[in-house]
Amino acid sequence: MSPADTSTTAAARWPWLPAFLSEERIAWVFVAKTVLAMYVTCWLAMLFQLEQPATAMITVAIVMHPQSGMVLAKSFYRALGTFAGSLFGLVLMSLFPQQRELFLLSLSLWVAACAGGATLYRNFAAYGFVLAGYTAAIVTLPAVSNPLNVFDSAVMRVSEVMLGIIVSGVVSDVILPERLRPLLRRSAREHFAHFIDFARGSTGGTIPRSEMEKAHLRFVRAAVQLEDLRSSVIFEDPEARARSSRMRLLNQRYMSASTSFQSAHHLINRLQRGGRGNVAAALIALYAPIGEALSPDPVQQQDPAVLAPRLQACEDVLPPLAARLRAELRADAWLEFDTGAGLLRRFCSEMRDFTALEASLREGKLKGSVEIVRFSRGNDVLGASVSVLRTFLTMSVLSVFWLSSGWSYGSSAMLLATIFSGLFAASAFPMLAVTNTLAGYVAGMVGGYFVTFYALPGGDGFAMLVVATLPFLLIGPYLTTRNHTLPGVGAGYTLGYVYILALKNPMVYDPTRFLNDAIAQVVGIGMTAVFFVFVPAVTGSPWQRRRQLAQLRRQVVLAANAPLPGLLYSFESVNRDLVQQVVTYTRPDTDESRSLLAWALSVHECGRAVIELRQDIARSGMPLSVIGPVQDAVHAIGALYAQPRAECWRRADTAVARAIDITTDHLAQSPSTCQAALTHLYLLRSALRDDESAMAPYIQAGQGTESPHAA
Amino acid sequence: MLHDLIPNEIALADALVPGLLLVFFGSLLALWAVDTLVGRFGLYRFVWHPPLFRLALFVCMFGAAGLLLFP
Repeated sequence: MSPADTSTTAAARWPWLPAFLSEERIAWVFVAKTVLAMYVTCWLAMLFQLEQPATAMITVAIVMHPQSGMVLAKSFYRALGTFAGSLFGLVLMSLFPQQRELFLLSLSLWVAACAGGATLYRNFAAYGFVLAGYTAAIVTLPAVSNPLNVFDSAVMRVSEVMLGIIVSGVVSDVILPERLRPLLRRSAREHFAHFIDFARGSTGGTIPRSEMEKAHLRFVRAAVQLEDLRSSVIFEDPEARARSSRMRLLNQRYMSASTSFQSAHHLINRLQRGGRGNVAAALIALYAPIGEALSPDPVQQQDPAVLAPRLQACEDVLPPLAARLRAELRADAWLEFDTGAGLLRRFCSEMRDFTALEASLREGKLKGSVEIVRFSRGNDVLGASVSVLRTFLTMSVLSVFWLSSGWSYGSSAMLLATIFSGLFAASAFPMLAVTNTLAGYVAGMVGGYFVTFYALPGGDGFAMLVVATLPFLLIGPYLTTRNHTLPGVGAGYTLGYVYILALKNPMVYDPTRFLNDAIAQVVGIGMTAVFFVFVPAVTGSPWQRRRQLAQLRRQVVLAANAPLPGLLYSFESVNRDLVQQVVTYTRPDTDESRSLLAWALSVHECGRAVIELRQDIARSGMPLSVIGPVQDAVHAIGALYAQPRAECWRRADTAVARAIDITTDHLAQSPSTCQAALTHLYLLRSALRDDESAMAPYIQAGQGTESPHAA
Repeated sequence: MLHDLIPNEIALADALVPGLLLVFFGSLLALWAVDTLVGRFGLYRFVWHPPLFRLALFVCMFGAAGLLLFP
């Protein structure tokens, strides 16, 4: 029987087998690479006579990841953090060589500040902060009773970490690399196809709100995921790095296009609900050419190189068609129609830019330079300060305990506490993570005990060391590949095992030291857990979600007040980042998630309209007497989102209505600018009065108190 | 001679740093520059194993620079 036959019969008999085998293959490739990198590091560290080969091995254990781009990105930030931390450790030691109290106080402050930085940043930049914090501790704590040693300690530490980083980078990148770039490319294409299909499929005009919310969530996830991947892939692939600014711009265009798309559809939905079916029908008719442009032959439907010229051609079709459709409507519907037509034109041109850029990226030839944009993140400073407080408390309590008790292994405990309070500062379920890690750590130390006192003493030479330590070492990386079911256990196991082995040349066998150190390390992790109970983690808590929602609303305030240059970009990306952060910890189909989505959509629509309106003002040619009321309307909208109340809603509604009146009066005077401003104002008013949006409660309350006699 | 350019040990803020370390960082910078250029034109597509090629390139650059400066 040929090999192919065996696999098909196996597949028929055990359908889960092929998937299981491929998963196991990836897992074991990772285990083999990790173990190989660890032993190479250990061997080199002994060859170079570094003080603690274990540190270098731990670096490998921490840095290794199944995907090589992740390893390189993590290594990069780890190197930066290590340098910053060692430098700070040196400075601190030279400032307070004799004053232990002051020294520990400033060290606690530094570690706490770094933990705060770690919660503020996403991705591996956060990890760099953690490193900067605990490297300072690692460098200085062992030398605390002998300050003159601190420089050597710092040099050793940096050398060990760098060795670990270099070896793991080389091993993961060169031996059977699992690339991140295909993943990025695949998900980018998937998101592109989904967006195009969705835009084409909604030619009919109305999309139910639930459908729109689902699509919105998907757009948000896509934007954030692409940015996350991009920031790691650039370390792995020089070609991706050369395209990095284009990928950012692509993401930006994707976000703008999806916002315009949603605004247009919300407007059509509202017109239909409000009994303006004929206007909605005209807008749907205007949408038809875009839908057509997006539907070439089925095989080419997701090919940007085909779509881009079609959209370009469509842009020329839209204005005459709009003029014809407008002429068929009654004059009182013109404003509504113009608003929708403006949105559709904007959507069409944004789609053209988006597809053209995607086409040029797929083509592979980079011509000229592109506009540099940044993906801004939404950060919560108060949330970060909670983890600063927690880390500071952990550190200072341990320091006080250490100083007053004269515990000789106190530095070990402090070290572990530092590492883990930093590592888990940004985690959503730190208690679970700490308990899992602690369990893994203890298991690793038990394994380490047997290896140290039964297996190692009998061996001689590096080969025997490998033979003695390998069986227990394999468990750690293998558990790491099971991270989705047992988060943290694998990492804890590897750390505990390698730390307690403390491989040295020559090896030291001292059961008393071993047990004392083990106890101190467990106490250190335990203290971290205790302080997570006292000062609970912020990430994912309802408190933080409320704050993030408020921050999301404040985005509109920002849109109304912040300086215009670059505002649109940061508005779009921060919005997505915030929504993504809140959504991650919100259970779907609850009142909370519905309210979040309603606000997200409303912030998106109004914020964008406000920014467009401010751009209209900034453009020259608008009469001075119009600028004042339009500014008032912009500020009133900002005030409404700052404090959503019926009273503010009424004020905003009045201000927008007044601005519309005044702009209409001046329409003849300067038609071009006033026309644009008018459509944006109308969009704002219709968004404000949308009784299915987040504004609904304020509208009812506002109408109830405003004019009882009008009802 | 070339090896007079960089002494064996360099004092950075009174800390002695091996001169070879600077060469190492210099080679990393050079590799970064080459990567940028190659990435711009997508030339790594013509290479069988790009990471291995990059590593080999780095070893060559570092080795050549090191041997030139510290014979």
